[in-house]
Amino acid sequence: MIKKLLVFALFASTVTLTFVGCSPQTENIDTINDQGKAVMQLDYRDFDRAASQMVQSLIASGSLKKDGGGKYVLATGRIVNDTMQRVDTDQLMAKVEKELMGSGLVVMTSTVSGGTSPQDSMVYDVRDIRDSAKGGEFKQDTLQAQGQLIAPELSISGKIIQRNIRYDNDKQQVEYYFQLQLTDLKTGLRSWQDETIIGKRGDRKKVPW
Amino acid sequence: MRLMLNILLLAVAIGVWGCQEEDKRISMAADVKSDNVAVNMVTKPVIYAFSWLIGEGVEIDRAVTYVNKDGFTELEIQGHNRAFNTIRFEYKVEWLDKSGMVVDTTTSTWLQTSAAAKSPFAIKAVAPRTTVVDFRMNTRKIPNN
Repeated sequence: MIKKLLVFALFASTVTLTFVGCSPQTENIDTINDQGKAVMQLDYRDFDRAASQMVQSLIASGSLKKDGGGKYVLATGRIVNDTMQRVDTDQLMAKVEKELMGSGLVVMTSTVSGGTSPQDSMVYDVRDIRDSAKGGEFKQDTLQAQGQLIAPELSISGKIIQRNIRYDNDKQQVEYYFQLQLTDLKTGLRSWQDETIIGKRGDRKKVPW
Repeated sequence: MRLMLNILLLAVAIGVWGCQEEDKRISMAADVKSDNVAVNMVTKPVIYAFSWLIGEGVEIDRAVTYVNKDGFTELEIQGHNRAFNTIRFEYKVEWLDKSGMVVDTTTSTWLQTSAAAKSPFAIKAVAPRTTVVDFRMNTRKIPNN
């Protein structure tokens, strides 16, 4: 009986060690100096590149410099994901917004936004409370007065487009277009727009979504 | 004597033709421009092999910075590719403030560029803060490429 148990234990441990030894180990990505190979889908490096180029282009354009000084109030409009991937467009816009705010040229508004871009619903929640019966529970001078919100002056909107092209019998080409544009909400005029293209060529069997 | 003179004249003519001043602003690819005495279908493989052997690559000529009217530092790195093949590489520009500290910005990321064979190239970057006074740049081979 003991012999059988020993044999079983030996067999089980051998099988376990074999599988553990064969499976690739999980490792953290070095996001500062990533040496990983390119992938057909969009990864964080692509968003970093696109955001970096867009921000530099926008700052260099001078479109965010307000006449007479001060900062523009900027809202994020609709960013359309026209790719075959489930891309959260905030992956791009969070970087762009952070850098634009850091530049000292704009402040972002959380009161209005287009599409799935982030709003802070608390802005309206506290006002609903103020106007409801619960409002009486709060010290009145701590509640937000009416007419305090500041409307956006500029809007940044855009699109991410994907095109799949058969390159040859073995390879496919996937093109991603990151397009952003800046619109003056008072006049509706567009003062800046740019496009960053990220192209990938690889095995036709690899699915880019 | 006449034959010697003809050969001499021919050599001078070829020499002059081969030494024609080219407009340095225009880079003609080896397989686009005309062959000459120094570079032709016979000597090209030798020149290419020698270039590869001595490891010719990208060199930086100068870095130009200026502060634009909005107060942001703009940078242009000018260089040239000595090799006979296109060289793709990645670069990362980091921005420094007046105390020499690196400015925290997501624009400092590895970006790709490409330098055509035997041609000049330029890399442009714009600082994301007005506090930037200097920069530093790293380059690397495109990973697994």
